[in-house]
Amino acid sequence: MDHHGETTPAGRSCKSSKDLLVQIGGPPVYWKSVDELQNGPRVTGEFPGGLPGGATSGPRAETTRRDFLALMGFSLAAAGLSGCRAPVQHAVPLLVGSDQIVPGVSNYYATTCRGCASSCSLLVKQRDGRPIKIDGNAESSLFGGGTCAGGQATVLSLYDDGRLKGPLWQGKSATWNEIDGHILQALNDAQTAQKSVVLLSGTMTSPSTRAIVAEWGRSNPRFRHVEYDPVSLSAMRQANKESFGQAAVPHYSFDKAKVIVGLDADFLGTWLSPVEFARQYASSRKPEKNAALHIQFEPGMSVTGSNADVRVPVAPSQLGATAIALLRRIAHKAGTSGPDQSADPVDSARLDAVAEALWKHRGESLVVSGSNEVAVQMVVNAINALLGNIGKTIDLARPSRQRNGDDAAVAQLVEEMALGHVGVLVLYGVNPVYDYPDSQAFAAGLKKVALSVSLNDRSDETGALVNAICPDHHFLEAWGDAEPVESNFSLAQPLIAPLFETRAAQDSLLRWMGREGEQSNYYTYLREYWRKDIFPRQKELPSFEVFWDQSLQRGVVTLASAGGAAPGPIHGGWQEAANKITQSAKAAPQGNSNSYELHFYESVALRDGRQANNPWLQELPDPISKVTWSNYAAIAPALAAQLKLENGDVVALKAGEKQVELPVFIQPGQEGRTISIALGYGRTAAGKVAENVGVNVFPLTALAAGQRRLSAVNASLASTGGKKPLASTQTHFSMEGRPIVLETSLDELEKESEKPEALPTLWAERLQGEHSWGMAIDMNACNGCSACVIACQAENNVPVVGKDQIERIRIMHWIRIDQYYSGPAENPVSVHQPMMCQHCQNAPCETVCPVLATTTSSEGLNAQVYNRCIGTRYCANNCPYKVRRFNWYNYTDNPKFDFNMESPLGRMVLNPDVVVRSRGVMEKCSMCVQRIQLGKNLALQGGRPLADGDIQTACQQSCPTQAIVFGDLKDPNSRVSQLQRSQRNYQVLEDLGTRPNVGYLKKVRNPMERS
Amino acid sequence: MSSSTMTAEPLHLEKPELQVLPPPVWVDGGPSLAQITDDIAHPMEARPGKGWWICFGIAFAALLNLGGMVTYLIANGIGVWGLNNSVGWAFDITNFVFWIGIGHAGTLISAILLLFRQQWRTSINRSAEAMTLFAVACAAMFPGIHMGRPWLAHFIFPYFPNQRGPLWVNFRSPLVWDVVAISTYGTISLVFWYLGLVPDLATLRDRAQGKIKKFIFGLLSLGWNGSHRTWSRYEITSLILAGLATPLVLSVHSIVSMDFATSLLPGWHTTIFPPYFVAGAIYSGFGMVMTLLIITRQTMHLERYITVRHLDKMAKVTMLTGMIVSYAYATEFFSAWYSGNIYERAHFINRATGPYAWCFYLMVLCNVITPHFLWTKKARTTVWFLFIVSILINIGMWFERFVIIVVSLHRAFLPSGWGMFYPTKVDIGILVGSFGLFFTLFLLFIRVLPMIAMWEIKNVASHTVDHKMAHGVGGEQNKEVIRA
Amino acid sequence: MPNNLVVATFSDPVSLLKAVNAAQAEKYRIYDVFTPYPVHGLDEAMHVRPSRLPWVTFCVGLTGVTLALTLQFYASVLDWPINVGGKPDNSTLAFIPISFELTVLLGGLSTVAALFLRARLYPGKKPLLVAEGVTNDKFAIAFRIRETAFDARKLAEIMKQSGALSVGEQEAKL
Repeated sequence: MDHHGETTPAGRSCKSSKDLLVQIGGPPVYWKSVDELQNGPRVTGEFPGGLPGGATSGPRAETTRRDFLALMGFSLAAAGLSGCRAPVQHAVPLLVGSDQIVPGVSNYYATTCRGCASSCSLLVKQRDGRPIKIDGNAESSLFGGGTCAGGQATVLSLYDDGRLKGPLWQGKSATWNEIDGHILQALNDAQTAQKSVVLLSGTMTSPSTRAIVAEWGRSNPRFRHVEYDPVSLSAMRQANKESFGQAAVPHYSFDKAKVIVGLDADFLGTWLSPVEFARQYASSRKPEKNAALHIQFEPGMSVTGSNADVRVPVAPSQLGATAIALLRRIAHKAGTSGPDQSADPVDSARLDAVAEALWKHRGESLVVSGSNEVAVQMVVNAINALLGNIGKTIDLARPSRQRNGDDAAVAQLVEEMALGHVGVLVLYGVNPVYDYPDSQAFAAGLKKVALSVSLNDRSDETGALVNAICPDHHFLEAWGDAEPVESNFSLAQPLIAPLFETRAAQDSLLRWMGREGEQSNYYTYLREYWRKDIFPRQKELPSFEVFWDQSLQRGVVTLASAGGAAPGPIHGGWQEAANKITQSAKAAPQGNSNSYELHFYESVALRDGRQANNPWLQELPDPISKVTWSNYAAIAPALAAQLKLENGDVVALKAGEKQVELPVFIQPGQEGRTISIALGYGRTAAGKVAENVGVNVFPLTALAAGQRRLSAVNASLASTGGKKPLASTQTHFSMEGRPIVLETSLDELEKESEKPEALPTLWAERLQGEHSWGMAIDMNACNGCSACVIACQAENNVPVVGKDQIERIRIMHWIRIDQYYSGPAENPVSVHQPMMCQHCQNAPCETVCPVLATTTSSEGLNAQVYNRCIGTRYCANNCPYKVRRFNWYNYTDNPKFDFNMESPLGRMVLNPDVVVRSRGVMEKCSMCVQRIQLGKNLALQGGRPLADGDIQTACQQSCPTQAIVFGDLKDPNSRVSQLQRSQRNYQVLEDLGTRPNVGYLKKVRNPMERS
Repeated sequence: MSSSTMTAEPLHLEKPELQVLPPPVWVDGGPSLAQITDDIAHPMEARPGKGWWICFGIAFAALLNLGGMVTYLIANGIGVWGLNNSVGWAFDITNFVFWIGIGHAGTLISAILLLFRQQWRTSINRSAEAMTLFAVACAAMFPGIHMGRPWLAHFIFPYFPNQRGPLWVNFRSPLVWDVVAISTYGTISLVFWYLGLVPDLATLRDRAQGKIKKFIFGLLSLGWNGSHRTWSRYEITSLILAGLATPLVLSVHSIVSMDFATSLLPGWHTTIFPPYFVAGAIYSGFGMVMTLLIITRQTMHLERYITVRHLDKMAKVTMLTGMIVSYAYATEFFSAWYSGNIYERAHFINRATGPYAWCFYLMVLCNVITPHFLWTKKARTTVWFLFIVSILINIGMWFERFVIIVVSLHRAFLPSGWGMFYPTKVDIGILVGSFGLFFTLFLLFIRVLPMIAMWEIKNVASHTVDHKMAHGVGGEQNKEVIRA
Repeated sequence: MPNNLVVATFSDPVSLLKAVNAAQAEKYRIYDVFTPYPVHGLDEAMHVRPSRLPWVTFCVGLTGVTLALTLQFYASVLDWPINVGGKPDNSTLAFIPISFELTVLLGGLSTVAALFLRARLYPGKKPLLVAEGVTNDKFAIAFRIRETAFDARKLAEIMKQSGALSVGEQEAKL
């Protein structure tokens, strides 16, 4: 920032927090010595301790991405040790320029995502000291290089105006010392008053933080740690305890499965670890002889369901019965006694076929359920056990640590609070007043707590009611580690000095445990923890220093299991569970004509709502409905016709005592009498972006048998007559029989000979350049998760335009995912098609531009020249793919569009390599031409030919399933050339003769009969 | 007429009157030459009547509104229009094509009818040409303001030496053709119109009372003195300009139609557009001429010069062009069906049954049905009826362009990109405003310049005499006589 | 004296033509005839040679088309050949419309310019008005007195016979 301090927002905001930072740093003397020890003469920079520009300061000329990382690792060592003292250093402007931060050169650092508890490993791009782009860490054996939309967007949450600029005591800003004083005092009082001290956190995947918490527990018997997930898997943990004596969430391997049965588990979109599962799923679904078969039973159309070979709409209340029906059939095949006879909730023949397929693939099949009902999960366990999947596709020996929430424990805590037994309550990364079913009860309890502290980054719904808010760093400002799956470790390191006067949550905890000075510093603790607990478990590296450096550099460490015993055979009890389900189903009050079931789900964009103030996510079209900026009541077309409802008609939904009013969205494939509603909306205190967006339906969820139910029965629906238009980016979902998404089946694929050669063109080939950039998009791999959309937005400075503009069909996204349905509306087949500029060789847009503002580059790119464009929009009219985007207004620094590009802080996320477009110009996908240029330059510097894969577009890089392949079509051996030669390859609207450089690989259907 | 001069024989020297053919009478009551001058000059010398003031008031208000709207538009960006990612052009280009079309009738009357020696044009050509100019002015405004960055409009002109390095324009783009065609058309029309004015300006100069008037007319009339040597060159020049303007006017709307025809959008990409658009242009143009002339002949009391026979002629032209247009509509549907092209078919089904179907049927009503009311002479000579018809034609032709542009755009190739266009206040305000501009200019014109070509009327009015003379003491025969 | 004109005015073209022919017959050389509108038949009567203006139009028009084609070819092929939608640099067909328009534009403008030059019409020119109302309803013939043997009286006779309203001699700056 020192080079830029005067000019960039980064500079400003850092300076502003400078003096504060001085106060909160530890005693400089101490750090100085370590500094000298590690860095020699003091080197400061944007990054704590002045992170070196590994990209350029390498001994070797040749730098592939891996060497890139290797070089970084070295410097990271230094960074690592000095990082913790960053705040102090930061106060001092850089007088002697760092030789390690080169302006305009990006550095990449490995860290760990905290967008959700899945804890994906990341590789973050830091440019001039600012993290500006999130990518997956290809080194990670779990997650690969992919990310999800939410993860991509976390970088914008770092520059969120809604974040607190410093700690608050009773709503007023205070210094850390004051607040620590108050809290330590309160802790003593609790001690004396014999009241319990509770840390209520979200799933805690960080082993070192767990260790801190454990220590606190040891030091204070009245201390308790409760983990709370708004959308938890606590029933599954409970069920596994009963079935296998192990209260854990198993680690699933969809890649090992040949038959996958999902019972309302959106494992490709939001469930447990979507990035990892999407990756596994794609690998097992390659269109080959033994491609996996996927059957999904679910109430509403989910990303996962939309990808299934067979999707069966089932009401939430019937999922248990469905599981039982399957179990009975499997048991029968296994020759054991199944559950008692009961009616099949869905077509029996279909269930037979599913059971048949499962049985055929014993040991290589997988049944997962998203149900939060212990009994259902036990039945599912029984199925998997009978199929012999335990230990094969389901790993309990190395369980997942990504969902630890315990609904019962939380419920108990709320009771305690009501009784006033809680002395100190520390809320860490949770917001119960917003998302707890009975939030009033929680709020009331909170008043009875002597001292409540929130560690959240903003004064959210809960924060408004607590005594103190001690804002945690954003994870891009913080150290940390994670263990998403047992013995799969991932490190986190800061990429920027804290923008505000925030403090790492762990620092706070250490302080409040009574640690002082160095003892209270999480960085030291972390490193010590790794030295003591992780380092000894590996054999390769003798020296901890080297191990630490390497771990930081690679970001991930995978060790042998810490001896988690493989689970024994399944205990009994599932028959009882099955019967219990059947009984309760019988007992359930029979619904009248106006009784519906409600089904609550996490939307891909907002998940549980913690990133609701992120405009990128609010404007991300839902992968299925394409609706932005709101949640809605998804109802089946038949029901809509019956009730004479149209999209946007507001209905009142009443479940129990609670009622909400939502606009209707008619969702093909929606279960007939079930209404699906997304959680995570209706935030009231998240920030100005989330203000009045959607409705909060968490209050409609309820606890049943100690577990949170994400569904409700006997809900009533009444039309209010009101209208609330939904801002949808796609309104027509039929392909109208046009050659847009082509499908084929494995049989046809075998039959098909070579693919027909391209249509003739009127004009001679005229590309002179040495490359011809192209893409191949695998319609089989793409599951519509939309990570690429946000990745593109982040990479290319695509503005957010807001609900009103979206209603006017003016979204700016350069890449969109088109959604098409075919077949009956009650249960259609759906496809997702990523659509961006097709970079036509005979581009219709170019011929009509009067000023030559768009032409074909010598390397086959359809280039858009912003400063030449006068905005006649003729090109967009003439583009058959409608991928061109026009700047109808000035979207930057314009109060009318009060999103991230309006505020100096929000603009810190902008990519300096991509120009911010002015009003009145046309823009569109450039195939990340800035990345192409960088790739070519690096190759030039390295004096080596450009290798296939050196250049990755943002969308390609973010894709968890590798559905997008970019490369040089002139190189016959490049992956993209090979794919475009494959017989599956086709081009959208080929018959128009536009000759796109983007090819699509036909979607291969996997009819059930095959398996 | 001079042609008949050639064929006459000396024999008739004695009894010339026998040979007098009943000439077509395009002026009622055979006024004297001076009378003609007075009548036509009257509106410019008398104080304007109430009728004129009311019209002008309304028109000028609309013009002010236009000013405001355009300022707002340029200040905020064209987001203030109803356009979107699916529909990139709507009212802006619709208005552009509409106004250009209007202009065509003027040129047709002044040029093509001149070549065809249609004398009935003389009473109306001056105002028709004026209409052309004002229509072109309105039209030319839209390509300007419809740009995202109007302040860079000069990018569209090729110029050299070029400050921006070797930056040229795309000569393949119909928009560039448009710019050249429209500016050529505007220039030639202006020159032609001014040339026709010169003798009348001289007349006005010589009868002007006020010093200023005299000075201005003197300046504009370029020292015209009615010298016959000049007259004869003058007539040649007019013929040449007419000869140039005729293909020009055909080319202009053909080129405008190519904005659409050269694209690949279903509903745009069709080869019949050029003739179809030209016919449509003349159709709409005559509609507008009728509207204007019916108003002015009533308000300015020029019934003597703009007779119902003129209206009858124009009605016939509208019938013809109207039926050509109807034929074009039919052809579009046929070829869509016959081509078997799924996109074309989908488009035309959508045109007739989609959300904008009402626009289509309104257009059919106005452009296909209406002309057939004009089969009877009675209808063609009933002024109020013609007025209604002319208004309907204007409406119909505006909607034709709207249907072609918006309905084609809003549902193109990829269903994922389909969307609707809804006009905003600014859209409508600017449409209304363009009419304000047009009528303001026209109303001013009929106050300050002779809206009927005096010298041409005199020419026509005195044809009878001319005739007789030609036969009596016509040049050649005369010489022969002398030689004999 | 040599600059003097004999001007005869008429009220209608009939008598005008009669007078012109008569004067021609008597070998009087007509300086010019002034009329409010082009009287057909005068050309022949006065033996006015057909104008050469069409040649101007033709030549300049030709220049126009050449200019247009050259410019477009130079710009799109020689100076800045750039890949526009894969079309060939020399998309001649696409160059036609502009060439046509330029032809018409230059042709038209040059013709009018030529007319104004040839007829010496320019803003601010003092018009030579030989008689009252020649731009309104009067017709006039002007004879220039140059020859020594110019019989003004006889001429007046002839004019009167052909129905002249008035015949008079006047000075004129020519």
